[in-house]
Amino acid sequence: MRMDLVLELLDVPGQLVSVIDPIGGLGANLVTIIHQRDIKNQKGLIPVQLTLEGERENLKKVIEKFKELNISILKIDGKVQKEKISTILIGHIVDNDIRDSMDKINEIDGAYVSGFNIKLDGEDKSSALINIEADFGKKNLIFKRIKEIALQKDLLMINEV
Amino acid sequence: MKNYKICIIGFGAVGKGVVESIFLKKEMIKQEYDAELKIVAVGDSSSSAISDDGLDERLLIETKETKGNLSDYPEFGGNLDGKDILDKIDYDILIEVTPTNIETGEPGKSLILKAFEDGKDVVTSNKGHLAINYKELVVSAQKNNVQFKFEATVAGAMPIINFAQETLNSCNIESIIGILNGTTNYILSRMTSEGSSYINTLNESQELGIAETDPTQDVEGIDAACKTVILANSILNIDATYSDVDVTGISDITSEAIDLAKKDGYLIKLIGEVSKKSLKVSPRLVKQGSAYDLNGTLNMATLKTDLAGDVTVVGKGAGSLETASSILTDLINIIRLK
Ligand SMILES: NC(=O)c1ccc[n+]([C@@H]2O[C@H](COP(=O)([O-])OP(=O)(O)OC[C@H]3O[C@@H](n4cnc5c(N)ncnc54)[C@H](OP(=O)(O)O)[C@@H]3O)[C@@H](O)[C@H]2O)c1
Repeated sequence: MRMDLVLELLDVPGQLVSVIDPIGGLGANLVTIIHQRDIKNQKGLIPVQLTLEGERENLKKVIEKFKELNISILKIDGKVQKEKISTILIGHIVDNDIRDSMDKINEIDGAYVSGFNIKLDGEDKSSALINIEADFGKKNLIFKRIKEIALQKDLLMINEV
Repeated sequence: MKNYKICIIGFGAVGKGVVESIFLKKEMIKQEYDAELKIVAVGDSSSSAISDDGLDERLLIETKETKGNLSDYPEFGGNLDGKDILDKIDYDILIEVTPTNIETGEPGKSLILKAFEDGKDVVTSNKGHLAINYKELVVSAQKNNVQFKFEATVAGAMPIINFAQETLNSCNIESIIGILNGTTNYILSRMTSEGSSYINTLNESQELGIAETDPTQDVEGIDAACKTVILANSILNIDATYSDVDVTGISDITSEAIDLAKKDGYLIKLIGEVSKKSLKVSPRLVKQGSAYDLNGTLNMATLKTDLAGDVTVVGKGAGSLETASSILTDLINIIRLK
């Protein structure tokens, strides 16, 4: 069977080789590769499209190997890959219209609020944990947008390192 | 055998630790480096002890601890201030360990600049002047062709500046992310293990002497921000000063937030981040079980490098002898290059 992948690579020598190298050894064949060094995304990474051919099992092994090598996989067969990210907000969350905050986060491109947990601290301040399903590679942009919302509503935002 | 005359200004926890560590290590230094260290002057905020023939390490500490000053040091006690001490005696290396002042950098800044102009090498543990005038100090040291070392300013005993500059010198360092303040790490660790509120935990830390009576510098992230600036300049070559750091402290952290984080597999830590893109100190979520999962007053930092990948260092960020260990390392490095 065939599998289409979109990866994201750093623009440094050796990156592409490190991706291609393991493929053969795992029993898969490289059918096509599109690597355009002049198209960089906002993070300075280069998208690389690969088409692989092989047994389902072997293709799975290639995906696992890429994850092990910390290579970001943006899409598998056209399907956008997600990662779970979390953030905590502290402040007058309830008074500042939680609904509106959640809507605003859901409006961010590539973000979907999958979990929300709020605890009240005495009278006024509350703390909320927000879990987000994020499109792979969008994490920093999403955090940046939430930070803007937090600033507007005077909330302290605690992000992952 | 070469002789080195040492002048120490500031005789508090760190100053006394330096004197004690010289007492403990002078034989080793003699044998390994063929160098004899002689403390020729020590000064605190109002008194001094000076002798060209060298002062006795144990007697210095005993005098300060029993009398509260140095003017009672037998025969050689007096009350010269720092600048007069530097004018009066002949010395080779200044150890400047006066309090950190992030408004003016004084008295440390003037003392260091004077020492440079007089052609003397300097070791310091003071973050104030470096956080606001890094460039001025380093340029002056270069211009006067003297050595200037400050390993102890960032995370006390934990090696990081010399480590990055000398041990990792094959690598380009892209970022440094770490826990750079022991007091806040202690408070957050206790809040996590005990479920206690910020204010109660702060009070407990003050009773234990871990947090100071005025905890502002630590809990508002000021101390960590100073260290962030020093790392930015010395390791990443970023021309930054204190006002460039985006600083948020821990005083708004609730036990509820810590609890929510814990249930989701995270901890909250005060993190300093240095990279070309970002210079900030703020509470952050870190994964339980990761390199940032470090309790108590310990400090740590992960250096992201191009060749070696991530390298993490951990160590004690404060303490008298612990901080003195870094100062003595700098002193030995100066002697080795002479
Ligand atoms: N403690 C640590 O673990 C640690 C770790 C890393 C870095 N540091 C840094 O190292 C420095 C010293 O810390 P420390 O803990 O030793 O502080 P400290 O215990 O408060 O001692 C400061 C010393 O400086 C003296 N001093 C104050 N003003 C002076 C002046 N105008 N001229 C000369 N001496 C003056 C004080 O004199 P009196 O004795 O007369 O009051 C005291 O002896 C600070 O900059 C601190 O940020 C400390």
